[in-house]
Amino acid sequence: MVSKRNRQTEAVFKAISDPTRREILSILRGRQQTVGQIAENFRMSRPAVSKHLRLLQSAGLVATRRRGTASLCSLDAKPLRVVNEWVKDYQAFWNDSLQGLRKYMEDEQ
Amino acid sequence: MNSLNVVDDAIVQEITIKASAQRIFEALTNPAELLKWWASEGKFRTTEVQLDLRPGGKWMMRVEGNCGTGTSSTVRGEYLRIEPPRLLSFTWIRDEENSPETLVCWELEEDLGSTTVRVTHSGLTSEALRIRNSGWPLIQDLLQSYLEQTA
Repeated sequence: MVSKRNRQTEAVFKAISDPTRREILSILRGRQQTVGQIAENFRMSRPAVSKHLRLLQSAGLVATRRRGTASLCSLDAKPLRVVNEWVKDYQAFWNDSLQGLRKYMEDEQ
Repeated sequence: MNSLNVVDDAIVQEITIKASAQRIFEALTNPAELLKWWASEGKFRTTEVQLDLRPGGKWMMRVEGNCGTGTSSTVRGEYLRIEPPRLLSFTWIRDEENSPETLVCWELEEDLGSTTVRVTHSGLTSEALRIRNSGWPLIQDLLQSYLEQTA
């Protein structure tokens, strides 16, 4: 059940499970930022911010491209669809389960 | 009739069944009966159930087929509240690496020979429930914007 998209789903869930990374997604909403600009929002070191960014990148939620010496980051919300799909799979599962229960109960009468 | 909602990170679904709450509670807690009804033709079926029906007792079920995958999977957990014939709750953990603990609650409400059965599956979107309060609205919001852009 519900495990086809597992690896991608887990990468996305892991990425969004952390408040700093969610903050980064929020910062990138509707605008591109350099790693330096993103890091200014946090007290942590720039390498620490970069580490979070790499995790977001590997989940496909952040894309980066070079602009001169800086890396310009942008948001890609597309992978968040797995969140919805996962929930949808479970909805279908519970819906089917309830139908099965009703059929079983009402057939015995 | 069947209704369907997503509240926060929980799935809540309801159905009304012409049977007593007591009878339905039995079907929810008897392994032989669970094997009979917990299936959907052409989609999935339950092939094994083991349970130790007491608070803290373990349960497991093996499901074959297709709720998305076509492979079999095992789900396990622990009973939390057992209050016949009204309430049954347990943890629900897919037997895979790093699978978060989620929570399933069955609630039964009998009225005039029919019983409203509500199942709530919560904790779905969070790893160890961390996202639930602060993070989920943002994620929903980002996703919503994305889906609207691409619609």
